[in-house]
Amino acid sequence: MLGSVVAVSDDPRDRILGATVACLGRYGIAKTTVDDAAREAGLARATVYRYFPDGKEQLIAESITWAVSQFFHELAVSVADAPDFATLVEEALIHAHRAVAEHVVLQKVLETEPERLLPQLTQSAPQVQAVLRDYLADQLRDEPLLPGVDPLDAGDWLARMGLSFILAGGRWDLTDRDSVRELVRGELLVSILQPEALSA
Amino acid sequence: MSSSAAELRLVDIDAPRPTTETETRILDAALALVGRWGVAKTALGDVAKEAGCSRATLYRAFPGGKQHLFLALATRELATYRRGILDAIDAADELGDALTRALVVATRLLQDHDAAQFILEHEPGLLLPFLGFHQVDVLYRETAATFGPHLERFLPADRAAWAAEWTARLFITYLFNPHERRDLATIDDARGLVERFVLPAFPNAPAIPHPT
Repeated sequence: MLGSVVAVSDDPRDRILGATVACLGRYGIAKTTVDDAAREAGLARATVYRYFPDGKEQLIAESITWAVSQFFHELAVSVADAPDFATLVEEALIHAHRAVAEHVVLQKVLETEPERLLPQLTQSAPQVQAVLRDYLADQLRDEPLLPGVDPLDAGDWLARMGLSFILAGGRWDLTDRDSVRELVRGELLVSILQPEALSA
Repeated sequence: MSSSAAELRLVDIDAPRPTTETETRILDAALALVGRWGVAKTALGDVAKEAGCSRATLYRAFPGGKQHLFLALATRELATYRRGILDAIDAADELGDALTRALVVATRLLQDHDAAQFILEHEPGLLLPFLGFHQVDVLYRETAATFGPHLERFLPADRAAWAAEWTARLFITYLFNPHERRDLATIDDARGLVERFVLPAFPNAPAIPHPT
């Protein structure tokens, strides 16, 4: 999970951000201090301020954005081997749903300080949406699209739906492979890919 | 979590509506003030003044004070909102038309609602009890239960419930993350989106003229 990715990076900035995320899981958003983050990262307080001159508020905001981008980076890695686009979307939904449920820091802060976390997440949503849209659009360019489907437009739509399902499964059981398959091939991609790309 | 779910039910559709003229006047006054100053800055004294009644009258109508008044207001406004969307769906002749109308009406009613706009812009914290991961699930379930049956003219019950949930997802994503060129308050934009990405999943929905 997040921890392993953090440990690999030697960049002090990443180290500070990863350390801050760890602190958020332990102390919460309100109680985490710049000193905590510095200690966790094994760096001097002055070093943290050199990277984050505005102090705690900046550190928290950027560490949450960073954790979100880590989340999606891991997601991209986990689906990189998918043999086709439909499988990629299925794997992404299953993985993301599980990763959210198992994300210790996210779940802890969601439970104890939703009023502090949700505005931060909402703020980064347009950025996440744009990155996801471009990623999906790139993938779609090589796929057998239905006539009239624009990859960027379809990417935007699928990014929105993907984020919507990561937030809440609704009537779909995202832990169940067959259910996800039905959702992706029977609903979400019917309007985008040629039928032969949805069988298999 | 359970308290938020309970809260959601409290401001939900089946709660009793105010009936007396005084209550209606007080709720209208509160609505106007929230549109101007927001929930936090609207004091009961101001509401009484705006409604042209005494504080004693206000407390007789809403013995629980501000919390009571604002729950009643949210209940009333949500019921009106829901009614407007249901009317739009019921007036449609086919599924695409129903979903398009639902989106356009939901978007326009919200845009024209000063109090809701003030809260979305300046007091979004008030919406948090409804926007957590678990709460959004509850929201989708309630949306499917409310609007799904009105789509059963076109679809079997389970497909209708899914079409309602899907449209709610679409609405929420465009509300919180607007598209640079697509505006759901515009019929052509909403219809384009529905026809392009949603309807292909419901290929056999028949056209059925609305009852009247």
